[in-house]
Amino acid sequence: MIHMRNVRKVYDTGVVALDGVNVDIKKGEFVFVVGASGAGKSTFIKMLFREELPTSGELLVNGHDVVNMERSEVPYLRRGLGVIFQDYRLLPDKTVFENVAFAMQVIEAPRRTMQRSVNAVLEVVGLRDKYRSFPSQLSGGEQQRVAIARAIVNSPTIVIADEPTGNLDPETSWDIMDIFHRINQAGTTIVMATHDKHIVDTMQRRVIAIEGGHIVRDEARGVYGYEA
Amino acid sequence: MKLRTSEYFLQEVFHSLKRNNWMTFASVGTVAVSLFVLGVFLILVLNMNRMAGMLESQVQISVYLEEKLEDSDHKKIKSEIENMQGIESVKFVSRDDAKDKLAERLGDQKYLLEALGDKNPLPDAFEVTVHQPELVETAAAAIAQIKGVEEAKYGQDVVEHLFDITRLMRVFGLALMVLLAGATLFIISNTIRLTVFARRKEIAIMKYVGATDWFIRWPFIIEGIVMGCFGGLLAALALRSFYAAMAAKIYSTLAFFPLMPQYPFMNYVTVGIILAGMAIGAGGSAISLKRFLKV
Repeated sequence: MIHMRNVRKVYDTGVVALDGVNVDIKKGEFVFVVGASGAGKSTFIKMLFREELPTSGELLVNGHDVVNMERSEVPYLRRGLGVIFQDYRLLPDKTVFENVAFAMQVIEAPRRTMQRSVNAVLEVVGLRDKYRSFPSQLSGGEQQRVAIARAIVNSPTIVIADEPTGNLDPETSWDIMDIFHRINQAGTTIVMATHDKHIVDTMQRRVIAIEGGHIVRDEARGVYGYEA
Repeated sequence: MKLRTSEYFLQEVFHSLKRNNWMTFASVGTVAVSLFVLGVFLILVLNMNRMAGMLESQVQISVYLEEKLEDSDHKKIKSEIENMQGIESVKFVSRDDAKDKLAERLGDQKYLLEALGDKNPLPDAFEVTVHQPELVETAAAAIAQIKGVEEAKYGQDVVEHLFDITRLMRVFGLALMVLLAGATLFIISNTIRLTVFARRKEIAIMKYVGATDWFIRWPFIIEGIVMGCFGGLLAALALRSFYAAMAAKIYSTLAFFPLMPQYPFMNYVTVGIILAGMAIGAGGSAISLKRFLKV
């Protein structure tokens, strides 16, 4: 699924964000990426959907050679991925339904499957009855659920989440984690960067800890390991 | 492109034209003004070219004679001309005939001649026709040497001047065109930039979920084309009335002026101007997308 060899990322400013990173993530895994702010966590996540390019090394995602791919191939890499952000990134002038359908529209998915697929994912995130609401009428947790619905509506093989619970209270965070858990159960790989010690410690999943641009720990059933 | 997609594009374009209504208005207006000026120059240059072409193809030389020549002198000159090479016909036009002809040509403005009273300032003349337009210049030069001939005039004299003017207008028109096209491109690209800015969130999301570059670009390109098309349409409509008014004005004084007939000429101009507008619109979008849309 994801294969990194000797990945190094140096920003234009000269900052070395990642160095000598080797990671393999298999299909169906649930992986937490933890580390302090500025440790390289975000860079790690962003490289997976080619928001950032490795300066050197090897990176394969879903069989795509991220480093050497043509620009025109990038959309097809991303169609296999569902990306979720801390700040939800919903379109305020579109309803819940439209926000999710938008993801299908822009990859020119057939119209007849749209209604069904959108309803199905809204069911998964428990927002079926709010499909006509606008984001401003929803709580933070609900907005993030819409974002998750949008991320999975095109049936990606990997869901990448960058601090998805960062803006949510603990209880709401658990609702979100429950959804991720179910998505993962259905076979989707999940890579999630987080600061939330409690979540990581409770879920008992694979933990990749990054510090100063290096992977300092990679455990199959890990804990957060820092004082958050 | 799928039907559903084109529907989506058109919706996006419509919304964004409405959202930036003032900029849209300014863009369409600039395109219209620019293309109108361009069109005016185009019409003038094309008409002058046509006039030059017609004058060039004339095979007639007007030979004006000195005053106070006898009939015998006229005969002598006539036969001398007729003996030259390439001459087709030589016809005598007396000064009285010439005055009548002029009066006829002046039409409504005949009163100008009446002011002269009984005086006739026109000379006696021969109208000489040669076989081919290429012969005109040498023939005229030779005729001018004949004793008793004041001067030999022909259309190509005028053609030289006309070409000078046309050249000048072309240079001037081209410079103006480049300037206006630059301004138009600038204002359209600015409008598109506003649209890109207003839709930056959407664009970001489109990229994350895997929309292709062209899927993202198309609505902006279409928006530019639509603005250019409307601007071109306005310019073309204005040009049609301009040409109709100009033709009416010219024909009312100079009935035989060789203007391009309005149809189909103005239909070609209309199509050309609208296409130019669309091209400018697409170009303006492209500039903006290159600079502001990092896809």
